[in-house]
Amino acid sequence: MKKLAATALALSATALLSAAPAMAQGKTLTISWWGFNGEKLEAIVLAPFREQCGCEIVFETGNNGERLNKIQIRNGAGVDVAYFSDSFSQQGIEAGLFQKIDPAKLPNLAGIYELARDPQGGYGPAYTIGRVGIVYDSAKVTTPIASWNDLWREDLAASLSLPGITTTAGPMVVMKAGEHQGVDAFADADGAFAGVEALKPNVVKNYNTGSEMINLFSTGEISAAIAQDFTLGQIQAAVPSVVWAELGEGSIATLNTVNIPTGAAEPELAYQFINLILSPEIQQQLAEQGVDAPVNTSVTLTPEQAALWTYGADLIAGLQRIDYVKMNAAKSGWVDRWNEIFGM
Amino acid sequence: MKRFAGWTLASPATLLVVVFLVLPVLATIVTTFTTPGGPFSTYAAFFGSGFRRTVLWRTIQVSLATTVIALVIGFLTAYVVSRSPGWLKSILIVAAVFPLLTGVVVRSFAWLIILGKNGILNTTLLNLGVIGEPLTMLYTQGAVIIAMVYLFVPLMILTLVGVLEAIPDDLIQASASLGAKPTATFMQVTLPLAVPGLIVGAVLVFTGSFTSYATPQLLGGEQVMMMGTLMYQQAMVVFDWVAASTIAAVMVVITIAIVLLMTRVARRLNPMAV
Repeated sequence: MKKLAATALALSATALLSAAPAMAQGKTLTISWWGFNGEKLEAIVLAPFREQCGCEIVFETGNNGERLNKIQIRNGAGVDVAYFSDSFSQQGIEAGLFQKIDPAKLPNLAGIYELARDPQGGYGPAYTIGRVGIVYDSAKVTTPIASWNDLWREDLAASLSLPGITTTAGPMVVMKAGEHQGVDAFADADGAFAGVEALKPNVVKNYNTGSEMINLFSTGEISAAIAQDFTLGQIQAAVPSVVWAELGEGSIATLNTVNIPTGAAEPELAYQFINLILSPEIQQQLAEQGVDAPVNTSVTLTPEQAALWTYGADLIAGLQRIDYVKMNAAKSGWVDRWNEIFGM
Repeated sequence: MKRFAGWTLASPATLLVVVFLVLPVLATIVTTFTTPGGPFSTYAAFFGSGFRRTVLWRTIQVSLATTVIALVIGFLTAYVVSRSPGWLKSILIVAAVFPLLTGVVVRSFAWLIILGKNGILNTTLLNLGVIGEPLTMLYTQGAVIIAMVYLFVPLMILTLVGVLEAIPDDLIQASASLGAKPTATFMQVTLPLAVPGLIVGAVLVFTGSFTSYATPQLLGGEQVMMMGTLMYQQAMVVFDWVAASTIAAVMVVITIAIVLLMTRVARRLNPMAV
């Protein structure tokens, strides 16, 4: 009898499992993401997921601000999985656009770095990790840059590009300017912006996209910049003498998160998708093929593969974190003050 | 009865224009008057900010400079084109229109290559010994104006060629036969008759420059921020749609004012033409 019951259970389970793709037939998962590396992501992530779910996948592409605006206009609907950098996903959370995540539905969370599991208080995990630091052309900047304070050095006059205040890394410049002046930018914006003002003579142009900054390097307009590490490979392809500065205070962590919007039509498919992209196999392939740095602790990379990434427990432990709640609250005022310095 | 039939025929197109063009703009503007701070609080905030006033004034300056330069270059070119024989005219028109076959970003990017520190212009001047150090040309108001003139001159030429071609040769010959010198003929016959084309071209260039985004962003950046860039920043980064709508409303009002002003000037130059 027991055997019969076990057989029946096994058969039912098999039937259920085999029916799973059929059940998802006709369903559509809508993903909002940047649109970079489309071919690689199709091969590594989308094709396996399509096979797993038997569903259609459609996309909404654009930069963080544009896509978050669209979701906000639709009051959290229209998208099932939303990729955003953490400063923007925090804005989405504060606007009530994302639902809390049920960790029980994401078994692969257990295998990723603590930092990435729940970076924003119960919302989506981070699927990749990066850092903001300083890059410089070692052929032109002969004294190595070893501290954030070096940005104010006189030998960098008219040779620096900062990320615009509207980018992910822009507000971090204000924080670093505050530290340079010995004040907390959130408590003493005047002090921090005095530091930004002091940095202005070194700035040629502030950039709004990574490709814009790479062009500034390749055309010789700049010899140093504050940058995110995912751009390093492309900068070095254009100017091989550009290096990542080893900063005494450490670089700043940036996390890219995946969230499920409040109005998602297919939340269960969204959970399956997020779980897949956190899996060791997918994370390994994404890192090996130069798409994203891994957050799964079991991913192993060769030194060559790891060279461009924020990779390894020690490096990740040394990163500085940003309080995006505070930063987003201050951002609007900071944008105006920044504009007054660089746009007048 | 005839008039009624005309209105009936025009009503579908009018309805489309109203629904898809006028109403969205009005809806945008209405939101700026319905804020908790009062109907004009967003405008007070806009004009109360020294930075925003600077951006507005800079945008007007750049757009006017672009329009004037494009008018001069466009008029001279169109005049030559309109007086050229058939085969040459075709070649010149194709050459003038050719830049329009590429996108605004590509055409603006070309100026990054020309005006850059290691760009074509600096390299040439350095090689000729004219300068000892590369000049800083990018990320200045001048760079934005140069690129915008390049963007809009083809539009001006196309607008003016048709107008200049429509001026009958008989009039020019009559003027000459009555003893007018070429300069007098140009000033008293050709130029007044070209006024409608000049106004249309000027309005197109001014509004295009005034609302442009990609070129000021690429060649000016934050240092030469213009209204389009500021509006994008408020909408897409600060998520302050009311502030962005206020900027849009200010742009609409100024554009209408400039168009009315141009029409008035045109009427003075040639009361028959407008």
